[in-house]
Amino acid sequence: MRVRAALAAAAGGALVLAAGLAQTASAEAGCSHDIRVLAQPRDGLTLLEKYKDEFKGLSGASFNIDYLNENDRRAKSRADASTVGKYNVYYIDEANVALFAKSNWITPLLDYYPKDYDFADFDPGRQKVATFEDKVYFAPLTGGGDLLVYRKDLLEKAGVKVPTTLDEMILAVQKLHDPDHGVYGIALRGQRGSGANVWRWMPYFRGFGGKWFDGNTPAFDGEPAVKATQTYLDLFKYSPPGTKTGSWDESTGAFLSGQVALLVESTPLSGEAIDPKVSKVVGKVGYARPPSPLTGGGYAHGLAIGAKANKDDAAKKCAGLFIAWATSKENEKRRLDDGQFGELNRTSIMTSDEFNQKFGADLGQALADTAKVTAVNFWQDPEWPNLGDHWGIELEELITGTRTDIKGSLDELNTYAKGLVANRK
Amino acid sequence: MKIRTSLPIVFTVPTMAALAILAFVPTIDAINIALQNRELSNPDSVYVGFANFRALFDDPRFLNSVWVSIKWEILTVVATMVVAIPLAVLLFEATSPNVRNALCVLFIVPALLPRVSAAFVWRFAFHPLFGLAVYPLKLITGHPVDLLADPHTAMLAVAIVDVWQWGLLFSVVIVKLLETLPPQPLEAARLDHARTWEVYAYVALPMLRGALISLVFVKMIESLRAFDLIYVMTRGGPGITTETLDMYAFSQGFIESGRISYASSMAVLMMIATTVAFTILWRRVRRWQEA
Repeated sequence: MRVRAALAAAAGGALVLAAGLAQTASAEAGCSHDIRVLAQPRDGLTLLEKYKDEFKGLSGASFNIDYLNENDRRAKSRADASTVGKYNVYYIDEANVALFAKSNWITPLLDYYPKDYDFADFDPGRQKVATFEDKVYFAPLTGGGDLLVYRKDLLEKAGVKVPTTLDEMILAVQKLHDPDHGVYGIALRGQRGSGANVWRWMPYFRGFGGKWFDGNTPAFDGEPAVKATQTYLDLFKYSPPGTKTGSWDESTGAFLSGQVALLVESTPLSGEAIDPKVSKVVGKVGYARPPSPLTGGGYAHGLAIGAKANKDDAAKKCAGLFIAWATSKENEKRRLDDGQFGELNRTSIMTSDEFNQKFGADLGQALADTAKVTAVNFWQDPEWPNLGDHWGIELEELITGTRTDIKGSLDELNTYAKGLVANRK
Repeated sequence: MKIRTSLPIVFTVPTMAALAILAFVPTIDAINIALQNRELSNPDSVYVGFANFRALFDDPRFLNSVWVSIKWEILTVVATMVVAIPLAVLLFEATSPNVRNALCVLFIVPALLPRVSAAFVWRFAFHPLFGLAVYPLKLITGHPVDLLADPHTAMLAVAIVDVWQWGLLFSVVIVKLLETLPPQPLEAARLDHARTWEVYAYVALPMLRGALISLVFVKMIESLRAFDLIYVMTRGGPGITTETLDMYAFSQGFIESGRISYASSMAVLMMIATTVAFTILWRRVRRWQEA
């Protein structure tokens, strides 16, 4: 009896010990190597790099981030993921999540995302963008929709009220356009790319009732797309030089340096506009929801677990831990304290009192308004970058004048899209 | 003749083997991929024969990129030589040796700059609102000029950067070549009342014919690899007006659709075309030189 009890106790002790050992092992799970991240430059990530030691304490490993600007990051991550797969964590966005997920270049995130980090706290819209075929693939680093951002002082001086419809906006742009005094009516993106000119064109296309596909048949080759393109081209007459082949940097740069009266751009612009480090228009800027019928371009960028570089479960866990830590409440709080508006994604942070104190209640209101019209404008499909970039080139040609036939260009795109769908079967 | 030592074999075989591996493995691989229908997003592929090559000739963007490449090649090679030769003559004729040496150092600097950095610097210089290089144009015309966004001027603007790097460097090379010429023929020409331009056009430069032709060839090969410059400055735009062959191949392979087989078939075609073109040119030039 006694022997048996002793045996049982010993066995129990051994179990506890084993469990204890297992726990220590899982706490340091798999982080035997430093994590390699391929990303595009973000203030939030730069800030994160100051806290490398904290992550080292948590996981036993450090991390290294390679930065490439957006277009190059997309090309490089695609090339890397499809061949050698050297990065543990990829920076993914709305345009390529479908491709990466479908090709199994990334792993569903939530299996490896520690529960304590509260994924459900992220903005629901961004969660939606991060999801492909019912599985979540990335944790957001940035995202949002569109805002109409305008110069209060210029509108007031010209006696123009804040436009709420597209027609009003076009009239306002015409009235405010005064290049002789260094003010352009609006700023648009002309540079080729599904995330560049096409991104800014899509709110017009979707706003006029256009859609990309009807089942498997391309359906964009109609009146809404022609009208959207014509409107976009007409507005380009009032856009500053440099934007015809420029993208986000060029058009927001022109606005922040005080040369643009109003523009519809992605939400992070509002944060930059009140940052004296980059903005010359601090205190003169107002926000509103995009004029109807424009839809807001819903988007999100974030971090995903690479499939190739993380060979076993332990490595995937380690990458998951890094992503969870990088997008944690603590780190978002640090970004908030640093005034990084565009780097905030968690509901708990964006509804906090500190957020309102820092960015003002009117921005909070505009964000709430714009959330109602924010939509997924693009075609949610692995072939989207392909189709979007193809249209981007045609659109750039139309904008710069090497092409003039709108309908003909759309017909061409239609043929191309049919080929894409046919190839798939 | 009998070779008495094995040294030539010892020295050449390893290097040649290394070179052969480095050159042939990627080439054969490229040809192999070009005959399939491989895409980045799809691991399965089958051999499709010459389907990619046939598709290329029905692709207006491919034909456009061939034309753009030819234009770029001619424009940059001619412009580089047109800038380099007169500049070299001017330096040789009008400056004291000290000034000349100082200027030569200055002229080498642009070529020392990595291409990507040079491209970025110039992209800012061409910015219609803030750019230094277009500021005079802005003053003259009264409105901002966007050279890189205008289909008529974009290639010219990129070519300016190329010539800025290579034209200046070549002028230094040519000055140094002029310095090596024996002075007697030039003096003889001057005694015969040849004008300055005649001295160079009929005496000095013909004496340097071989060297100048080599420079032209170097520049031709170099111009084929202008990818980085174009990628940074215009990305092939506006539209496809500066989309050269390598730019389009990269675009098909990695930016837009991930059709690496299609991209490879372009690379293979480009390799064949340049090899053939250069062989013919080389032979022509040699015959002309011997004549």
